[in-house]
Amino acid sequence: MRVTLRAVVITIAFCIPPLINAWAGTPPGCPSRPLPGTPVNNPLDLYSQNGVLTVDLLIQNSVDVEGFPHVCYIYTYQGQPIEAPTLRVNPGDTLNINLTNALQSMDLKSSKKKVVHMHLPHQGPGPADDCSGNEVLPSSTNIHFHGLNIPPVCHQDDVINTVIESGDPAFHYSIQIPANEPPGLYWIHPHVHGNTTDQVNGGASAALIVEGSNPITQGLNERVIVIREQDKPGPPNDPDANVQLTINFEPAIYPDRPAPTITLQSGVQEFWRLLNASSKQFLSLQLTYAQTLQNFEVLSIDGVQLQTPIFTNTLNIPPAGRMEFIIPGLRSGQTGQFLTVGYNTGPVGDANNPALLAKLSTSADLHAQKHLELKAKTQPKPGRFSGLASMAPNTTRSLYFSEQNIGTTGGTQFYLTVAGRQPRLFHMDDPPAIVTHVGAVEDWTIENHSGEVHAFHIHQIHFLVLAINGAPVPNPDLQDTIIVPPWLGSGPYTSVTVRMDFRDPEIAGTFVYHCHILDHEDGGMMAKIEVDPN
Amino acid sequence: MKSISRWLVTVLLLLCAITCVARDRSSQTTYVIANDDGLFTNSMSFFAAGGTVGAPALSFSADVSLIGRGIGGGFFGLPRINMLASPSAECVYASNAGTSDIAGVIIASGQLAGQFNPSPTDVGDASGVGILVSPSYVYAAYSSSNTIATFSVMPGCQLSFVDDVPAAGLNGGSIAGIALHGNILVVAYGDGSIESFNVANGVPISNGDAQNSSGFVASLGIDFPEGVDITQDGHYAVFGDSSIATKVEVSDISSGRLATTVLYTVSGVQRAVAPGVNSASIRLSPDQTMVFLGNSDGGSVSAAFFDNHTGKVSGGCTSPVLHGFYNPWAFAGAIITRDTTGNGGVLYVAEYGFVNSYIGILSIASNGSNCTLTESPASEVPDMLSNGLLSIAVYPPRSF
Repeated sequence: MRVTLRAVVITIAFCIPPLINAWAGTPPGCPSRPLPGTPVNNPLDLYSQNGVLTVDLLIQNSVDVEGFPHVCYIYTYQGQPIEAPTLRVNPGDTLNINLTNALQSMDLKSSKKKVVHMHLPHQGPGPADDCSGNEVLPSSTNIHFHGLNIPPVCHQDDVINTVIESGDPAFHYSIQIPANEPPGLYWIHPHVHGNTTDQVNGGASAALIVEGSNPITQGLNERVIVIREQDKPGPPNDPDANVQLTINFEPAIYPDRPAPTITLQSGVQEFWRLLNASSKQFLSLQLTYAQTLQNFEVLSIDGVQLQTPIFTNTLNIPPAGRMEFIIPGLRSGQTGQFLTVGYNTGPVGDANNPALLAKLSTSADLHAQKHLELKAKTQPKPGRFSGLASMAPNTTRSLYFSEQNIGTTGGTQFYLTVAGRQPRLFHMDDPPAIVTHVGAVEDWTIENHSGEVHAFHIHQIHFLVLAINGAPVPNPDLQDTIIVPPWLGSGPYTSVTVRMDFRDPEIAGTFVYHCHILDHEDGGMMAKIEVDPN
Repeated sequence: MKSISRWLVTVLLLLCAITCVARDRSSQTTYVIANDDGLFTNSMSFFAAGGTVGAPALSFSADVSLIGRGIGGGFFGLPRINMLASPSAECVYASNAGTSDIAGVIIASGQLAGQFNPSPTDVGDASGVGILVSPSYVYAAYSSSNTIATFSVMPGCQLSFVDDVPAAGLNGGSIAGIALHGNILVVAYGDGSIESFNVANGVPISNGDAQNSSGFVASLGIDFPEGVDITQDGHYAVFGDSSIATKVEVSDISSGRLATTVLYTVSGVQRAVAPGVNSASIRLSPDQTMVFLGNSDGGSVSAAFFDNHTGKVSGGCTSPVLHGFYNPWAFAGAIITRDTTGNGGVLYVAEYGFVNSYIGILSIASNGSNCTLTESPASEVPDMLSNGLLSIAVYPPRSF
């Protein structure tokens, strides 16, 4: 293990007392969230210092006055509970998270029927611990470090055997950010199979930024925007009736309630890092100034900087996807709108409706929330993913998403299957569906045999996007989550072809790939891959 | 004045529709009757069968308001409109899943006889309320409360609630498919388990034979019996499996209880380009030589050959993907035959759409060892009143 465990707590607020005591005075439940119509504020930033960021997080839950379940990551700052701070680290840093699970057993399950898969009760010698696959209860949790290229082992980025029960002592995560990790936006969220949807919809997610220098963004005001989704059980015949998008926890439900607001310095560009932390919303983002569509200048996708920025007026971002981009300056006196225009999820997909995410206006004397500074202590080392586009794959594989329904009102079975095998719902105790080895470079074609869009995600690595529906992508980019378009009922199945990079020995082990529509993942649309060390 | 005129026009139109339906009944026109499952006010739509041998057709004839509310969806294999399996059937019953009541309609007049409520604890608004009809009772299977309510059949298509009993799957499922023959009522729970009930005394009593079907693969969480039909002699219960492959399971029920099912994977059925076959709804042909399967997720229909002496299933064929699959409709629901003799001649398929729904029409051709299912040029027929069509019936009905 290359991670050195250091008992150093260095955050904005340090000298935090021992964790259990720190939470002793914390009132139960989650902090209040912003009201509709209020300014969208950046999350609190926590920076590493001297190569280490140590954060004590408490995860707990409550229900708000409108009946939406909240599940929150709480950090105590100056005695106050702060929800979902942004974790900022540099390549090569150590990130320590002490996670205390204080989730109360409450019925978070949505109205849709789900299949919850449990580990078998611990049967080995000695007491069960949180690394050995405890029984999954509704209050069980863990953390996935989404997008980071780090080892799939307990206390790092393992989601198969790490199950933290409510009331257990604080669970210690210690991650060394690879020295060559691409600087950009990543995130953390719970990933206990069967519980992920409810905990992420409850709000348990936070941005994680690997700092780095980029001359293009130097001096620009930076915003961190996390789009989440909150769900409460709706009428049986309309389970989507009580789904709301939020922007940094503020409900975006205009015109029912006032729209969130963002005030820009007039005429000045801003650098936005945007995370789609919703469980099932495919965002199709647009920006209008004075009713004129604007271009985004996209710099990074899923944490990885593009070779050349892309200028586009629409950003399609799947659940779990991230984009970092520059928005143009808004002229003094003008107003703008930041919105998702809705996404066609296919003939049998869930509704992804349009929503006004924020109204934009200007202020001449605005004090920028944060100007970017070149904070990188370590310049990223080249090498990760290098030369991937020109490599010949060792292996090609075909997989497909499919669904099977008992009716239109639930009971859907979700499958992610290696072609030629029998479809099966994922179970935590399954053997790996794919076995490969460190050093392998593989081309995978992932088809969609269902009339619903899916979002393919693999842990531990990024992949190069080679083709969509068989058509080569002109400028392949690296992603960790990709939209697999719905099949429309005739003609060839829709597909994406990606190049998997298993060359890094750090990622050896067993991990998962799945659909990042989280009720699909919880419902069984997931499988394991084993990467054997050389 | 204006409102009186409108009222008069409405009454005249209604009378005309009712008269048309009544007149057609006397000439034994065949009707497809749909439980429209309307979200706001549910209705029953009548479509008259017509067309030619090579191009069977349907034309909208009339609709009857059922007063209660539907849910615009539900389980594929649950019959939510039904009548006595006899040429003498006088009443057609449809469930209002949203309000959990049962509506009775007098076939001869096309008039609503009334809405009939079960116990307040009988609820079917999650995935529908299945209906079975015997000469003396109507059984309503509630998917939310997992109960089966018994109603006595009264004169004039009236119903009177008698009692209800629990009916829950072994693996947490809900009532997803039901069928009735004589004194045995068979339930599939959509979770891999099945059970039968004795209805000799009216109210169902479990036969204590709840079991997982042979086809259910618990370790994989796949393949659930869903739709059910029973042979004319009551010897076999035949289940259509909700599964990726086209699977049929057959249970010998001649003892009055469910025997272990025998699983058949229907041969000759190719997936073509369909996204999972999912043989969730099932119907025996009137002569019991064939079994028809609605491929709910595949947008097609399959047929297999059935031996009603042995219960064996063999051979088979699958239609091409039907017109309009995924655009504008999304799932295949109930299937039913037009004719009351032979192989049924024509198949009707409920085609569920999120906005509008349709009825598909296919011709059946079979020589006993090979078959073809050909969609009619006149297919698909819109059901303009439906918010999500899953259940249809045919009058006059098959005799079992």
